[in-house]
Amino acid sequence: MSRKDHGGRGDLRAWARRHAYGLLSSVGTLVRNPLTSALTIVVLAIALTLPLGLNTALVNLEAVHDNLDRLDSISVFLELEADEEGARRVASKLSSWRNILAVDPVSPDAGIRELAGASGLDRFDVGDVPLPWVLEVTPNSTVDIAELAQRLRRADRVDTVVVDMDWVRRLDAILHVFSRLIVLLAVLFAASVLFVISNNIRTEIERRREEIEILALVGATPGYIRRPFLYSGLWMGLGGALLAWLTVYAGLWMLSAPVEALAATYGTSAEMIAPSVQALGLMLAGSGALGIIGAWIAVSRQLARINP
Amino acid sequence: MIRFEHVAKRYPGGVQALSDVNFELERGEMAFLTGHSGAGKSTLLRLIAVLERPSRGQVLFDGKNVGRVSSGQIPKLRRKVGVIFQDHKLLTDRKVLDNVALPLLIAGYSWSEIRRRVRAALDLVGLLEKENTLIPALSGGQQQRVGIARAMIAKPPVLLADEPTGNLDPELSEELMRLFCTLNELGTTVLIATHDLDLVERLGRRTLVLKSGSMVDDRISNRSWRGDGGAVA
Repeated sequence: MSRKDHGGRGDLRAWARRHAYGLLSSVGTLVRNPLTSALTIVVLAIALTLPLGLNTALVNLEAVHDNLDRLDSISVFLELEADEEGARRVASKLSSWRNILAVDPVSPDAGIRELAGASGLDRFDVGDVPLPWVLEVTPNSTVDIAELAQRLRRADRVDTVVVDMDWVRRLDAILHVFSRLIVLLAVLFAASVLFVISNNIRTEIERRREEIEILALVGATPGYIRRPFLYSGLWMGLGGALLAWLTVYAGLWMLSAPVEALAATYGTSAEMIAPSVQALGLMLAGSGALGIIGAWIAVSRQLARINP
Repeated sequence: MIRFEHVAKRYPGGVQALSDVNFELERGEMAFLTGHSGAGKSTLLRLIAVLERPSRGQVLFDGKNVGRVSSGQIPKLRRKVGVIFQDHKLLTDRKVLDNVALPLLIAGYSWSEIRRRVRAALDLVGLLEKENTLIPALSGGQQQRVGIARAMIAKPPVLLADEPTGNLDPELSEELMRLFCTLNELGTTVLIATHDLDLVERLGRRTLVLKSGSMVDDRISNRSWRGDGGAVA
């Protein structure tokens, strides 16, 4: 085909037109087989919803985790000599500190009862070991717990300060395991996206075998034949990602009321965090790219059979 | 334009479709290829369009050994050869327009140019009013003509036809042959495989005869014999 045959308009425009025809052809295929296309996109969306949903859950849990730091209380053990009156005095003094939200004095008797309850024993015999008054201090959300504990230690009549952050650390560790798990799942599901699209394109190619052969017979280049399939892969990838995002969004919307209710019992409010625009963009790009790669693999294998 | 030098083709399984075929078709020539079915006519045409590669010997197209071209070069070569297939090879889920347009779509012509040329080609084969008809709604003869319109629309220098009149009544066959002659007069090299000997006789063109994979005759119509299978200069 010489340049003259294009009416002197150059190869670039011919190239652009070939691309446009490939794009139109791929859209035509999707529209002609609405059920197949829809099913594929749903399967992809399910595969993508799991990692995206888990990631969203993680993001929300991390936010809760950040909020929980503030619910973490500090146990301030007073000197044994301090009686109820003294304990209440220290308590009221501490509650005036800027960094402290609340101070809750616990009497030695209440402490024993609590200990007995926690250990599951009816009676908890501590014998003659005297127990001190304890002040449960709830710090402000912004405060540096370690520094506050240090200051409390220096305060009047304070014997020991215990910061129980073990469970916070544990939650932290759990979230780390969780986030690593999501990475693993994301890789697995990305692979499944690749295979679903590749397999779908392969079936499509099998169905359109004749068409591909005819295109090759009239002189279509492998690139020309490949293009509509690559676009199909792209559409499927994008469609799947978009539907997955909508699913997660719908899930968040459905969860928002119960979560709000749950948060209310802790005396706080909770706003569900939706996947960010960056996350959506990343997923669309990733899924679309996987679609193209999957289609490329499938088409190349078939093309090799047609050209002797 | 097309030259076969000691060409043999053996299919996997041991079927010898062609053995030691030699001939040359000059640029602008028009010839018929006849022989019983199974004589190797289709294989010979398929070798020219690089739908097959020869087992031995060489097929030269425009001086290029097509048996050796890389697969990347095949599309380029096929665009120089318009092929009319016995089984039409049309996209059955598309309209006539889309089928005929294929070679131009591949070449990247603008849609308006494509429309114009498709209409002209369909007019030539007498199917202008069928432009938007789906292929299965056409008769065998009409489908054959769609295939012809597609083969010639991009004005390839070589036109190959495998039994183009197989499904047509005598009148249409005659008309089609005249169309081939017209295209030939306009400079296209034409090679037509057919067993319609009456038609071949009437047209008085060069005729190549295949028998069991060998070129047994090369003559002008029924009158002048030109050896028993040797290449014609």
